[in-house]
Amino acid sequence: MTLSGLRWGDGVIAALASGAVVAAFALAYLPDTEASMLVITQTGEPPRQEPLDRAREIEIHGPAGITRVQIEPGRARCADSPGTRNICENSGWLQRHGEVAVSLPNRLTLQVQGRGPGYDSIHY
Amino acid sequence: MTASFPDTLTQRDRAIAALAAIAIGVQVLEAAIPSPVPGIKPGLANIVTLIALLTLGWRAAVAVTLIRVVGAALLLGTLLSPTFWLSLAGALAALAALGLLRPLAPRHVGALGLAIAAAMAHITGQFLLAWGVIIPHPNLPLVLPPLLLAALIAGSVTGILAAHVLADPRIQRHVRLARHP
Repeated sequence: MTLSGLRWGDGVIAALASGAVVAAFALAYLPDTEASMLVITQTGEPPRQEPLDRAREIEIHGPAGITRVQIEPGRARCADSPGTRNICENSGWLQRHGEVAVSLPNRLTLQVQGRGPGYDSIHY
Repeated sequence: MTASFPDTLTQRDRAIAALAAIAIGVQVLEAAIPSPVPGIKPGLANIVTLIALLTLGWRAAVAVTLIRVVGAALLLGTLLSPTFWLSLAGALAALAALGLLRPLAPRHVGALGLAIAAAMAHITGQFLLAWGVIIPHPNLPLVLPPLLLAALIAGSVTGILAAHVLADPRIQRHVRLARHP
């Protein structure tokens, strides 16, 4: 028996390793789209985070008036905003990672985030 | 020349020293090859570890690998740097995997399977050190899948190369094959 030939164990190890690679890709990159956090960004203010854990309403004061944000477990929406064209309200419920609503008169964006890939860049 | 060596130096010791020297040379040469992606390289020096394992046994493979890691680091100027610790962590993880599979080789597992297992263990060990100590960022696992894929490919390539090297009659002349399977 030479040392150089293929053995059945080679196939088993190759299959296991391939399975591990596929599983790693699936675990790391299949996006977890469920939103868990609302990020409120307003001009001149530090970004504010509100967990989407229980139903409540928050009011954000901006240059044009008050934006009322309604929060429920797993989702949030712009319930009322001073914009005359109701763009913020018409964005509807934000419930998947990355969805965003904008109120330009109040200079603010509402974005929900999940656990999906959240990195900006990778440095070596 | 041989007369100047102490009598306790066995044929086996010389084989280990020769294999370690080859491994250091391979690793230094490989360091000169530019890699398209940082952190990914073929790991050709692991061929020598596999040959040491299959011809001289696991302890010889450990000796060859540790001499290679330290020797190449001395030549490349990375001794005790993060690169060195990553190299050492990968080497130790790969040796552990080879140690686990050693009882199955060569009857049930050949060079290819050993190389793939060693490469996967190598990158996993490196990754755990990088994530745990060097860059403890919660999103670092996102780089693991491409690294594992690279390890699978690199392990297959080095495994095939190791099998070819072992099959070469010019090599078999120089290396006495291990008696115990």
